[in-house]
Amino acid sequence: MSLIAENIRVSYGTREALRGVTLTALAGQITAIVGPNGSGKSTLLGAITASLPFLGRVRLNGQDITGLKPWELAARRAVLPQASRLAFPFTVIEVVRLGLQSGTAGDRPEVPLQALARVGLASYANRTFHDLSGGEAQRVMLARVLAQVWSPVEDGQPRWLLLDEPVSSLDIAHQLQVMEIARDFACAGGGVIAVMHDLNLTALYVDSVAVLAEGQMLALGTPAEVLTDNILSRAYGCALRVSAPPPVGIPYILPHAASHP
Amino acid sequence: MAAVTDLETAPRDRVTRARTLHGVLAGVLVLACIASLQIGTTDVTLSAMLAKLMQGEALSQMERVVLFDIRLPRLCLGVLVGAALAVSGAALQGLFRNPLADPGIVGVGAGAGLGAIIAIVLSASLPVWVIDLTGIHLVPFAAFLGGCGSTILLYRVSTRHGRTSVATMLLAGIALGALAGALSGILVYIADDRQLRDLTFWGLGSLAGASWAKVLAAGPMIVLAIGAALMLGRGLNGLALGEATAAHIGIDVQRMKSIAILAVASATGAAVAVSGGIGFIGIVVPHLLRLASGPDHRTLLLNSALLGAILLILADMIARVVIAPAELPIGIVTAVLGAPVFLWILLKRRGLVDL
Repeated sequence: MSLIAENIRVSYGTREALRGVTLTALAGQITAIVGPNGSGKSTLLGAITASLPFLGRVRLNGQDITGLKPWELAARRAVLPQASRLAFPFTVIEVVRLGLQSGTAGDRPEVPLQALARVGLASYANRTFHDLSGGEAQRVMLARVLAQVWSPVEDGQPRWLLLDEPVSSLDIAHQLQVMEIARDFACAGGGVIAVMHDLNLTALYVDSVAVLAEGQMLALGTPAEVLTDNILSRAYGCALRVSAPPPVGIPYILPHAASHP
Repeated sequence: MAAVTDLETAPRDRVTRARTLHGVLAGVLVLACIASLQIGTTDVTLSAMLAKLMQGEALSQMERVVLFDIRLPRLCLGVLVGAALAVSGAALQGLFRNPLADPGIVGVGAGAGLGAIIAIVLSASLPVWVIDLTGIHLVPFAAFLGGCGSTILLYRVSTRHGRTSVATMLLAGIALGALAGALSGILVYIADDRQLRDLTFWGLGSLAGASWAKVLAAGPMIVLAIGAALMLGRGLNGLALGEATAAHIGIDVQRMKSIAILAVASATGAAVAVSGGIGFIGIVVPHLLRLASGPDHRTLLLNSALLGAILLILADMIARVVIAPAELPIGIVTAVLGAPVFLWILLKRRGLVDL
């Protein structure tokens, strides 16, 4: 089972943000979308989540998403936006329940608290969402998204987590925690696509990396294949050096070693 | 273990409280209705009439007129208008994702008023078949069209890419209100004497002219609109997260917004058509309820209908008794009570306007 985006084109006015990008993500894996600012990462995720008009085709578990109703899509995939603003003073648990109601676990009232516990915020259930810090708010939103697709596989079909910069406002401990959650979801058979900025976290956790630059797919493959001096330097426009610590062999990128051409 | 139990039960408290509030408010509404039938400028009281009936005596002609032709239609109209204004407020606030959106403040009421005035003044020049077809519903329907037009215009102006700018919304509301006021002024010049009298009574914002005809004219539209609005609870909750996220959690956002706009326009339109401008119910009622039992629209909308009806009946009772045997326009009472609450909301949560 897979999520396939074929030949995706998106224009903002006359500017082409995506020029025919094709991405295949497999269930049971984490797929990261990386690339410099303005390369079209969030736009690609926007097309995959049907939040903006696009040309091309997106197939989720084999079904074209344009033929699915909003509630059918909501039962198959959950989306974590970059930032969330909430209009009314809902409590944390009420926000997480919004996810539960739209997913397939609607009759399981214990799920929201379990989802909050998963992101380490079980004791925050009765706090007002507005009073949370940026990082806490982002984790509560992740709990809402998890509650929506609580079982990574349901009726033999994988569920999908689509995350737009899930670790952007988190401290290092919670960055690792969120990546672990994503990995557990994928290991249990679900699919994860995440827009990432941190190349080292990407190298540590993901199975497949898509590198975007100027609205085009520069490379797609495993971290070892894609996170190379050549590809990264071309994508980001500065000379990056990829290294690997001897025992594990996972590539890492030291910003200290970067040089501008 | 105690902590876990606390966690499992406590979050449900607001839900339970909101559901309990349904019953409490329904009870209070019944009491308010009885009180409203009891009190009036004449000596006729409900209790005296009931006592008479118990003893097998017939009611006098005057008692029957006071009860069935004056107080009862006025009560029905009060319940309808109060519920309509409060639900419109709650739904409009959900739609604009801001607790300051009120049909009266953002110009929806003014648009509906313009529609009503156009219908009153131009009805003489309309073809007979239109009058025959619409009958008593002509003015409420015109008010609905006016409300609809102004809501859609307001939404277009103040919402870009699914985000509503509060400042733009409030300023656009002022512009809409001014425009509707100016057009209404022009129509007043065109109006003949009889129409002028109609307009003046209508514009006072009052339940004084209540009749069964008005109840019939506004009732079906208000009941339908409130029924539609009550189904928006889950959708408006989702919309609180923003339009994109609402769609991601499975809400057909366009359809939901259309239903919300139609419901607000018809409830406000019908209420304005029969009662003129009665302000602040739409902003005060949902705000008090959010303080009491949280912002969950699945319970907020019904509670708003109940509390709106209660407050309007109480305001009407005040309007009837403070300067008896004359009476105050009810719009004055709701403004005196509501405007300070509105200011208090602004004072307490200044951040609202900066959003």
